[in-house]
Amino acid sequence: MAAIAGPAINKMSKISRRDLLQFIGAGGVGVAGGILYGEGVQRNVEFLIPQVVPPEDYSPGVATWYNTVCNQCSAGCGISVRIREGKAKKIEGNPVHPVSQGRLCARGQAGLNVLYNPDRIRTPLQNAAQRGSGNYAEISWDEALTTLGSRIGRLKIEGKAGRVRLLTGRTRGHLDELFAQFMGLLGSEHYQQYDFTYPAAIRAANRISFGVDQLPYYDIKHADFLLSFGADYLGTWLSPVHHSLAYGHLRQGRQGRRGKTVQIEPRMSLSGAAADEWIAARPGTEGLLALGIAHALVNAGNYLGSDRDEWSIALEAYSPSTVSAETDVSEESIVRLATEFSAPGTSLAIAGGATAAGTNAVASVVAVNALNYLAGNLGQRGGVIFNSDPAFSATAGSRQAGLRGMLDLVEAMEAGDVEVLLVHDTNPVYALPENVRFRRAMENVPLIVALSSFHDETTAMADFILPTNTYLESWGDDVPDPGVGFPVASISQPVVAKLYDTLAVGDIILLLARRIGGELPIRLHWATMEEFIKERWREEYELRSAAGEDQDFEAFWRASLEAGVWGQPGAATGDESVPSSSSMIASITDPVSKFAGSESDYPFVLHPYLTATFTDGRGANLPWLQELPDPMTSVVYGSWAELNPVTADELGIREGDILEVESPAGSIRVPALIFPAIRPGVIAIPIGQGHSAYGRYASDRGVNPIHIVATQVDDQSGDLAWAATRVRIKRTGERLRIIKTDGVTRTLGRQILGPKNDHA
Amino acid sequence: MSISVLDALRPAKKPALLGLVVVVGLFVGAWVHGKYFSDRSPIQPIEFSHRIHATDNEIPCQHCHIYADRTPVAGVPSVSKCMGCHNSVPSVRESPEILKLATYWENREPIPWIKVYDVPDYVHFTHKRHIKAGLACQECHGPVETMDRITRVASMRMPWCVDCHTERNVEHGRDCWTCHK
Repeated sequence: MAAIAGPAINKMSKISRRDLLQFIGAGGVGVAGGILYGEGVQRNVEFLIPQVVPPEDYSPGVATWYNTVCNQCSAGCGISVRIREGKAKKIEGNPVHPVSQGRLCARGQAGLNVLYNPDRIRTPLQNAAQRGSGNYAEISWDEALTTLGSRIGRLKIEGKAGRVRLLTGRTRGHLDELFAQFMGLLGSEHYQQYDFTYPAAIRAANRISFGVDQLPYYDIKHADFLLSFGADYLGTWLSPVHHSLAYGHLRQGRQGRRGKTVQIEPRMSLSGAAADEWIAARPGTEGLLALGIAHALVNAGNYLGSDRDEWSIALEAYSPSTVSAETDVSEESIVRLATEFSAPGTSLAIAGGATAAGTNAVASVVAVNALNYLAGNLGQRGGVIFNSDPAFSATAGSRQAGLRGMLDLVEAMEAGDVEVLLVHDTNPVYALPENVRFRRAMENVPLIVALSSFHDETTAMADFILPTNTYLESWGDDVPDPGVGFPVASISQPVVAKLYDTLAVGDIILLLARRIGGELPIRLHWATMEEFIKERWREEYELRSAAGEDQDFEAFWRASLEAGVWGQPGAATGDESVPSSSSMIASITDPVSKFAGSESDYPFVLHPYLTATFTDGRGANLPWLQELPDPMTSVVYGSWAELNPVTADELGIREGDILEVESPAGSIRVPALIFPAIRPGVIAIPIGQGHSAYGRYASDRGVNPIHIVATQVDDQSGDLAWAATRVRIKRTGERLRIIKTDGVTRTLGRQILGPKNDHA
Repeated sequence: MSISVLDALRPAKKPALLGLVVVVGLFVGAWVHGKYFSDRSPIQPIEFSHRIHATDNEIPCQHCHIYADRTPVAGVPSVSKCMGCHNSVPSVRESPEILKLATYWENREPIPWIKVYDVPDYVHFTHKRHIKAGLACQECHGPVETMDRITRVASMRMPWCVDCHTERNVEHGRDCWTCHK
């Protein structure tokens, strides 16, 4: 070894300069690599940011829950928001609130996306270029309010205050009163609300049938048999969280009793999927079906009232055989449903969705009301319970413009009768058919002011945008509609300090009143919305304290604020007497919807439907909702047109084929989705997508079916008949891959359902 | 067998040897990084010394980290807290580091301290329970009172946690849901 090693050592001294440099280089690369590696596996630098001056009651890492009211739809659920270090972290249902009872839906949860949305408007803006260009310059609040105050003030002095119009979304509670007072003092009677989802037909029908102008409490919880005509009570109808809880009780809350539900609708909704029986009657004839069932019920001798003969005569024309031919529901089914509906136990019939959105909407709901009357469900546990008059804000419903009111507004704008248009929390450019031409009419208005947290299609036309606080940063109050059978009111309080240079909408109105001057600042003397709400609650409290409330007001206010809700369970409900039937009998009319477009030119029925995520489109800018798959089809992102496999086969349409869906009012291009739970001949398109200017998450995604709905009014309610349009479809030859979480809806012989059978 | 460098330098073996040098270099580099450049002992915006505060001036830990015994986080003192004392310590008022502090205070800005001890967000660690169990701060954080610049002495990784819980026979100390909820 040594003999060999010796020369080796000798030779080692002869390492060439080239080799030496190579080794040094390799060593350097290695060390550098090691340091880079160390740097790479190192955790990101995080900071410990101390408070400069800590608030007194501050405990880092300890959450506080504040109660307030959800504003993501109109149900008025109570929510609890988890706050840590002054930041909102999570929203849950308020356990003591009678509407939500500790539960909350996806939209309510996504309220954090509203608060932290990167597209929020952060300062007052003034249009800096052509209208609709989206080119805005930042201005100060002072500048904005002074300009608006002087322009509106001048109109008031000139006696032209009537040319100022205020258009809001569904506004309740004392904010509604503030709006009304502001406009009243200004001298304008044009304060209106527009909400696409407003149940105008149900209210109108209840006025006709029962003589009450309210949404009663539909007691699904205690019903044994629930017959729903198009009402997706688990997804979108009136108060979905409350109804979902009630549904759970109907099914499993009672030992040994399982309630049955039947859903009548052309396209299976979540409620349809949860029902025992799903009946796809011919679209637009659901009210007729209700009358057929009523006929069978009376004829079978199951109605024993003294006015039995009158009913018999009124319903004569609606024998099951006649109705069967019209509705495409078998005679046996009609008779069976009548038997089940009048069987011992409580039954309940409800109407909504497309049933309450035809040209016959009110007549259909009246027919469903008649069913409830005949089965003796009125005022009964498990039936229709009338609410007492709400504590305040009883008039809010009457401000709903409906389609008729909006057409009047468009006409006034086109005629140049509108000088100033104030818009808040509503998006008519999106949520009205394109034929209404709301956007074009807006061009004739010299001054448009939007009070909004976000840019949308309507604010895009505004000259001034006054950024509002979100509901999590605002004071307010609310009376849930429909109520819960006893008096309830909730307080909405800011749960976090406002994030940007925004103001609560109530505070903007109060500030504007001061700039306008005259008697406005004297009558609207409150410094803030908080002061106004508190004063109104004090008055309310004093009215009731005569009836035996024993705390002082401050204690009552603190307790209500902490609980987020005030209520009187067990207090007398509304009028419990059963209304007389004579007007109800007289109001029975032939409830068949008239569709726009002839059957030969437009062979398919367009069925736009509200989704549990976007409703009328307002949820589309929330990323959590965008990534939530549709519960029925599992499709996520974008729009699609559902059609029955039979229809698709006839036309040779495959999933993903882009179709041109054309109605008499316009056309949209949307990919096809083959969906078995839809009546052949019906094309269903979800509402909510297809925004052009609603922030980064909503814009340029999918299509808006409302835009191609024909402008038809339901005469009795004055509202848009959005489910009464026919369409034709054409393949464009283009294709698009629909993104969905389901693979295929068939088992393909995989024996998922047990032993091999023929279902594959 | 040959240990000759000559053999190693033969063309076929030279790349292998170069590779070996790179690998050794990697280890050396990683060690150097860990020793001198890592987040175990980052340079802070103000050269704050725990030794001066805790040893020389005998200030107890929880005088500044006031939330340790009642919340999940120990809490870093507010700028107002620092100034509260330093306003009445004229001897060091003109030292450059205290001047930095004064500047933050005048601008009403928080001091962006760099975090040394951190657990991932999916770990529900709470100081409160550990203090209530009678642990001294030093058992996890080391002899902080001797450090001029704070240096992390424990990995804060799960095996380290579980070892201690096992050793002390902590009730539910090895239950997943104790820390991961």
